[in-house]
Amino acid sequence: MQVFKLCLKILKKNIPTLLIYVIIFIGIATMMSADAAKEQSDLLFTGSKVNLAFLAEEDTPLVQGLKTELAKKANFVLLPDEKEALQDALYFRKVSYILRIPEGFSQSFMEGGNVQLEKTVVPNAFSTAYFDLSINQYFNTAKLYVEQFENLSQEELVQYLKSDLNQTTVVELADGAHPRKRIFANNFFNYLAYSLMAILILGMSSLMLVFNDKNLRQRNACSPLSNASFNQQLILFVLLFTGFTWAVMVTICLFFSFNHGLDTNAIYFLINSLVFSVCAASISYLIGLVVKNANVIPAVCNVVTLGLSFFSGVFVPMELLGDSVLKIASFTPTYWYVAANNHIAALRQFNLTSLQPILNCLLMQLGFALAFFTIALVLSKKRKYE
Amino acid sequence: MIVHVKNLVKRYRELLALDHLSFTVDDREVFGLLGPNGSGKTTAINCLLALLAYDKGEIKIFGRPMTPESYELKRQIGIVPQNVAVYNELTVYENIDYFCGLYVEDKKLRKEFVAEAIEFVGLNDFTDYYPKKLSGGLLRRLNIACGIAHKPKLIILDEPTVAVDPQSRNKILEGILELNRQGATIIYTSHYMEEVEQICSRIMIIDKGRAIATGTKEELKAMITLGEKITIESQYITETQLSELRALPNVISADYKNKQLIIKSGKGSNNLEIVLDAIKREKIQFGKIYSELPTLNDVFLEITGKQLRD
Repeated sequence: MQVFKLCLKILKKNIPTLLIYVIIFIGIATMMSADAAKEQSDLLFTGSKVNLAFLAEEDTPLVQGLKTELAKKANFVLLPDEKEALQDALYFRKVSYILRIPEGFSQSFMEGGNVQLEKTVVPNAFSTAYFDLSINQYFNTAKLYVEQFENLSQEELVQYLKSDLNQTTVVELADGAHPRKRIFANNFFNYLAYSLMAILILGMSSLMLVFNDKNLRQRNACSPLSNASFNQQLILFVLLFTGFTWAVMVTICLFFSFNHGLDTNAIYFLINSLVFSVCAASISYLIGLVVKNANVIPAVCNVVTLGLSFFSGVFVPMELLGDSVLKIASFTPTYWYVAANNHIAALRQFNLTSLQPILNCLLMQLGFALAFFTIALVLSKKRKYE
Repeated sequence: MIVHVKNLVKRYRELLALDHLSFTVDDREVFGLLGPNGSGKTTAINCLLALLAYDKGEIKIFGRPMTPESYELKRQIGIVPQNVAVYNELTVYENIDYFCGLYVEDKKLRKEFVAEAIEFVGLNDFTDYYPKKLSGGLLRRLNIACGIAHKPKLIILDEPTVAVDPQSRNKILEGILELNRQGATIIYTSHYMEEVEQICSRIMIIDKGRAIATGTKEELKAMITLGEKITIESQYITETQLSELRALPNVISADYKNKQLIIKSGKGSNNLEIVLDAIKREKIQFGKIYSELPTLNDVFLEITGKQLRD
């Protein structure tokens, strides 16, 4: 196992450089994934209160009940009941909703009359629509009671409403997955495309550069070490190095993304990243064969990894990239890796139909790996006879 | 017979690098391959080691054909290549251990061999050094240690003293002779005739891929007509005086150039005495006068018509 041990020693000399990439990855990926997950999960649903000016021209139990109910979703702002003061408050966004209860409203409502509330709102504010729903919900429920019970007093009605509207429903997704956790994992695994490939290229190129030295190649060829044994040891090392790098990187990902236990999505993230690491290893092996100068390795590594990451949706979401960019990106394995990650993050059901797009992405990555390895082998054979 | 090469032909497209080269190397011999740069020495060695495919011919080592898959034969061969081939990522000790490990699997034995090789080339104080920290001479010694650590029966040294200071060169040459005394057969290539003369028991002179002469140094020198070269430093010599000298018995040629009169005589005794008498008779003023026996360069010059270092 002389060649294998030699590989270890050569790699040992490059560990400081590789560690820099691991540390940078952990730092950047954690920060960016956490921020992105927070932003994106906020978009799903978060309750917020509207600043409301509540102007009641009567003080009945029904109006008091409405005010109590709205207090759950609104911050009451006291304003003088003057047209100019109210308009200023809306303009300067002190309030986004002004609700006026006209005199006689409660009486008319209890008698089943067609009554209307007066509202003044900030134009096109989505929070006001949400608030309208709450008011409608209150009066629609009230209307049901008024129609069903004769001689119902306002106090009784308010008690019924209070009881009904206090009922809440907890919504849980069918698979029990935590969306925020999954968004974090999606981003984290996407960033892995950059750092995993960078580490593999740096490690493998440094190694291949040594073995491609003509003098050393000839010197080894003079020894009783067979070509087969040499290649076996080298391939074993490449596989172990790839596997070890993958294991370290995904452990970091899992630690940050799934620290409360793994779910099925995590397993698919793992499979996808493993397939991608095989592909990254093939690219690294090819680059290692082509690069002839140690000083060029970091430059090549940065150009390849950053280039692929930028236009394949690692750093910029695919939705923000143009169609033509994505079309070009589809000729790279990173695109398929990121696409698979995005599919996995959105996965709720695990049947063949829902898994099909992911399987396609995995096959594409394996295809790329095979193509790069084939090119590398052809180059390697050609060089042997130079 | 350790090495048997017969009618070896190697072409690089139009260039005939080896032209029906044949030679043999006997057990415990120090066999020298002498020739100018580009004469085909390294190509011959590369063919011998099965690093290069050749067009025609036969190579046998230890009586068996040498192929790229002759791993058992390779186990008995040590190679010190012309270009230093060591790993810059490994220390001196690790390099020797790596190359020795390619041949010797037993760890305990390998440790002994590595220690002996370090001792042999005198790198005891540099075992933890990385190659980039070594001087040219030390690097060459490391290159040698990597090639001989596994105690091979046949050692091939391809110009191991290129760009080495005289002190290191002497140490390397003494080391090669010591290896030979310990029982190794040596093939030594060089374009330095002094080195080859100093250590080789048999020499093959090679030019344009063709063996032009083979034998001991005495046998090679006996092949040529030149027996002695007399050099006389003189300020002025007339054409008449020069003609008189040329007419002396056993004189092959007499040329006056750059205030040096060089008289080449054939084999025979009293050459110097005859020339001195003539100088006295012709009243030629002279400063220094010295006589040299023919060198391998003279052999090469007489056979090919050009200097060995051209």
